[in-house]
Amino acid sequence: MKFQKIIMVILLALFSGSVNLAAQDNNKAEEIMKKAHLALFYAGDDGAAEVTMKIVNSKGKERLREFTMLRLDIEEGGKQDYYTYFKKPSDVSRLTFMVHKIPFSSDNRWLYIPSVDLVKRISADDKNSSFVGSDFTYEDVSGRHWSEDNHKLIREEKLNGRDVYVIESVPKEKYKGFARKVSFIDKENYLPLKEEYYNKKDALKRVFTAEKVELVDGIQTATLRKMVNVKKDQYTTVEFSSIKYNVGMKEEVFTERFLKNPPREYIR
Amino acid sequence: MKRFLTEFSINHPWVVIVGVVLITALFAAQLPNIKIDTDPENMLEADEPARIFDHEVKDEFSLYDFIAVGLVVEEGAFNRKHLSHVYNIIDEVSEIEGVIVDDIMSPSTVDDIKQGDDGILTISTLLEYEPESDEDARYILGRIKDNPIFKGKLASDDGKAVAMFIPIESKNMSRSIADEIQTIIDKYSTADEQYFIAGLPLAEDSFGSEMFKQMAVSAPFAGAIIFLLMLIFFRNIKIILAPMVVAIISVIWAMGLLILTGNTVHIMSSMIPIFLIPIAVLNSIHIISSFHDRYQKYKHKKTTIRNTISELFIPILFTTVTTIVGFLSLALTPIPPVRVFGIFVAFGIFVAWFLSITFNAAFAVLISDRALRNFGRSDDSHGPLSWIMHVFRDFSRKHYKGILVGTAVILVVAAVGLNLIVVNDNPVKWFKQNHPLRVADRTLNKHLAGTYMNYLVLDGGEEDALKDPETLKYIEKLQRHLEKNDVVGAVTGVTDVVKKVRYELFNSDPAKFAIPDNQDEVAQNLFLFEISGGDPDDLFKFVTQDYSRANLWVQLREGDNESVMSVIDDAERYFEDNPPPVHLEAKWAGLPYVNVVWQEKMVGGMRSALLSSFAVVFIMMVFLFRSPLLGFISMLPLSITIMAIYAAIGYIGKPYDMPVAVLSSLTLGLSIDFAIHFIKRTKYIHEKTGNFNQTFPQIFEELGRAIGRNVLVIAIGFVPMFFSTLVPYITVGSFFFAIMMVSGAVTMLLLPSIFIIFRNRLFPAAEIVSEKSKKIAVTE
Repeated sequence: MKFQKIIMVILLALFSGSVNLAAQDNNKAEEIMKKAHLALFYAGDDGAAEVTMKIVNSKGKERLREFTMLRLDIEEGGKQDYYTYFKKPSDVSRLTFMVHKIPFSSDNRWLYIPSVDLVKRISADDKNSSFVGSDFTYEDVSGRHWSEDNHKLIREEKLNGRDVYVIESVPKEKYKGFARKVSFIDKENYLPLKEEYYNKKDALKRVFTAEKVELVDGIQTATLRKMVNVKKDQYTTVEFSSIKYNVGMKEEVFTERFLKNPPREYIR
Repeated sequence: MKRFLTEFSINHPWVVIVGVVLITALFAAQLPNIKIDTDPENMLEADEPARIFDHEVKDEFSLYDFIAVGLVVEEGAFNRKHLSHVYNIIDEVSEIEGVIVDDIMSPSTVDDIKQGDDGILTISTLLEYEPESDEDARYILGRIKDNPIFKGKLASDDGKAVAMFIPIESKNMSRSIADEIQTIIDKYSTADEQYFIAGLPLAEDSFGSEMFKQMAVSAPFAGAIIFLLMLIFFRNIKIILAPMVVAIISVIWAMGLLILTGNTVHIMSSMIPIFLIPIAVLNSIHIISSFHDRYQKYKHKKTTIRNTISELFIPILFTTVTTIVGFLSLALTPIPPVRVFGIFVAFGIFVAWFLSITFNAAFAVLISDRALRNFGRSDDSHGPLSWIMHVFRDFSRKHYKGILVGTAVILVVAAVGLNLIVVNDNPVKWFKQNHPLRVADRTLNKHLAGTYMNYLVLDGGEEDALKDPETLKYIEKLQRHLEKNDVVGAVTGVTDVVKKVRYELFNSDPAKFAIPDNQDEVAQNLFLFEISGGDPDDLFKFVTQDYSRANLWVQLREGDNESVMSVIDDAERYFEDNPPPVHLEAKWAGLPYVNVVWQEKMVGGMRSALLSSFAVVFIMMVFLFRSPLLGFISMLPLSITIMAIYAAIGYIGKPYDMPVAVLSSLTLGLSIDFAIHFIKRTKYIHEKTGNFNQTFPQIFEELGRAIGRNVLVIAIGFVPMFFSTLVPYITVGSFFFAIMMVSGAVTMLLLPSIFIIFRNRLFPAAEIVSEKSKKIAVTE
């Protein structure tokens, strides 16, 4: 009798232990994803960069966009402001675009259209829509809050010579963007080196890769990013140059006033 | 040669039969490898420029063939209940394998550009959630009407109809996907709702599947009736078994060889059996008819066979070769499936001829004398058929001048009728008026902007050419011009995106609903579309990414080639009268357009095929009868038959479509047959009598009855096809019926009349030279 009880206790202990372990694992996975989110989207307190975007379709035809991008973190991991000033294609040069990102809610977006000298607020209900016609969505550009998904560390491995955590994320609520995401997070700097997006039929839809990681102002930065749209057989690359962090950007830059008159200290 | 084949078959019947059975088994073994191809697009060569361009356009603008689904509610479809059904149906349809989910056009899938109350410009799904109130639903109708990209297409302006366009991966999935859609619809459908499924790809694919079902019924049915009629005429099941077997074997050989040579069975080649059976039976009927009318005379099987085949060999050879020429001429057409059809029907006819003088003979030898005891005993010279023939005889003797005058009148009337022929085709109309696809086609095209989609690609030649305001304004005028044609439901293009964005940007100001004057503004409007959440893919269905080419969606309410042509002509005239501000190259694509292209090729191709086979047959006739005059006379029945039938088509207004075109070769090949038999046998009779007055009545005996039997067997055999659900089958059945009736009547009336007129020249009184032939007959 006693022996049986002991066995039961041991089994129970083991079982609850494993549950604990699993929970710990999940906590660890979420922790990793949080760090990854901060590393990719909240580097420094602010940042400015020149961006070259190439959208390459299945026939190899390229569409080019060049813009200056300014970012200010209002709170780490929370609100952020973005300011985009387009230079190319030339027929949209001087067009500016501003986003006030609010996690768990709709962003605020404004657009200045130089040809008609008009500032327009545009809707931001759908974070999954394409960002300026590229294969990146708005969410890919500004990030999806880590707490919106359940994360699981599925393995650790080497990717292109870097040690990575492989984490699977499943949205807590039914979500149009993806049904499952597998991220490969660099163990050292927590940058996502690769992300695979699967749809509800578990077919691979899109693949993000950080093609080039460089040290800028002491911060590891993915300077060349690529998004492959598997289904459409096309991809978009985004290259960041002239990156500056912690330039002491002011919040007033991210107001309607500056849409028409870009801040000259950052935008030439 | 002729002696050898028949002698061999008579003397070694089992060798022939076993040999034929073995070869048949070999060909029959090929039948399971059948590859079916029902895509009318394959009417064109794979490298046909129009077809390649169509594919290029579909690829470049990521366009797909689609199934059109419509909901019609007489009291109005835009309330909570009906629109919820649409929402849920689309939700489920998105799960169907083969549906291009991203490109579905329906209220719950398209993006609307609008200006919110708060002044925020929004591009989002028109009907994002299931409607909660009737008001929601009415609002959606309002949005559709306020958007030039959707107006008239997604809903009728009166709100009675809603449309859903379901793009599919490949058009040969249309039928199965449409069936799945129907199952989903059935779950939601209520008594006050009427759902319709239509579209050209669906019609084409459905025709393919229904055609084979139809074939499986029609061919055996026609065979059975032909068999029954022969039984009535010859009253001996064993004897008539032979021609039936010959018919079936020639079908197996022809189809077997077709499959063996790697050809696919297309809409045309599926009709091979229905063409071969009657043609194969024709020769046999002549042989049996002769055998039947003589057996009681010789009372000796082998002698009768020899005698019959010896006399009929040349006419049968010629009728066979002329029919083969008619069908082989199809090999000259630029339409691959028609070529395959012509070549393999020709092969089948050859097989049937070969078998009818070998296999038939061998088969007849094996029939016991007892079974033949009463064969041909009934006195046919007093039967109803003879009675009819005697009417023909007496009528043509008395009224031969009247017949000639009558013929001349018919020719004049026919010439007028020929000019009334309208070349037109539409795969949807291959189904009968009351077929669900036709009903759907009519209803949806009445309410909405159309289920037929053509594309007009305008190439500006260089990057950003299509951002030029002048060019866009020109294109917009072209759109409005094309829409003036009643056939055109709507013409949509990148111009509409620019206008709509601009209109919404300026707070729905109607004055801004126009192409701006400044190129940067055009570019920025389009950029605004992309940046505000508009799907770039939606935009690039109207313009290429480099803005060098624009694609106008020309939506038609009618898919008739005639209608499509009228729109193409309109565009052409517009370009001529209004030269574009920059160089713009215009080219058409889309299924309805591809159909027009192959129709044009077919019409031209068939004309030259018919003319060339007509010439070849005429030369053959001159040689056969060793007389240009007789050659000319022999061409009369077929010429009159073709003219009469095609004139009738002109008068009743039946469009000259694919089956009608192809049938001209059949008409030629079949209508010459009676004339050959008639002239050849008349000469043969005259050799024996040497006196035209004696020759003349005899024409209407054995020969007349053989022709009469043929006419009745084939004509009646095809009557069941009149009741087919598919129009091309009705056409084929009617043609066989008409060819037999008209060419039979013309042969039996006109030729005797001409003979009477030219009797001194054609049939001079002569020594009786029939001893020679009699000798052959008696020789054992």
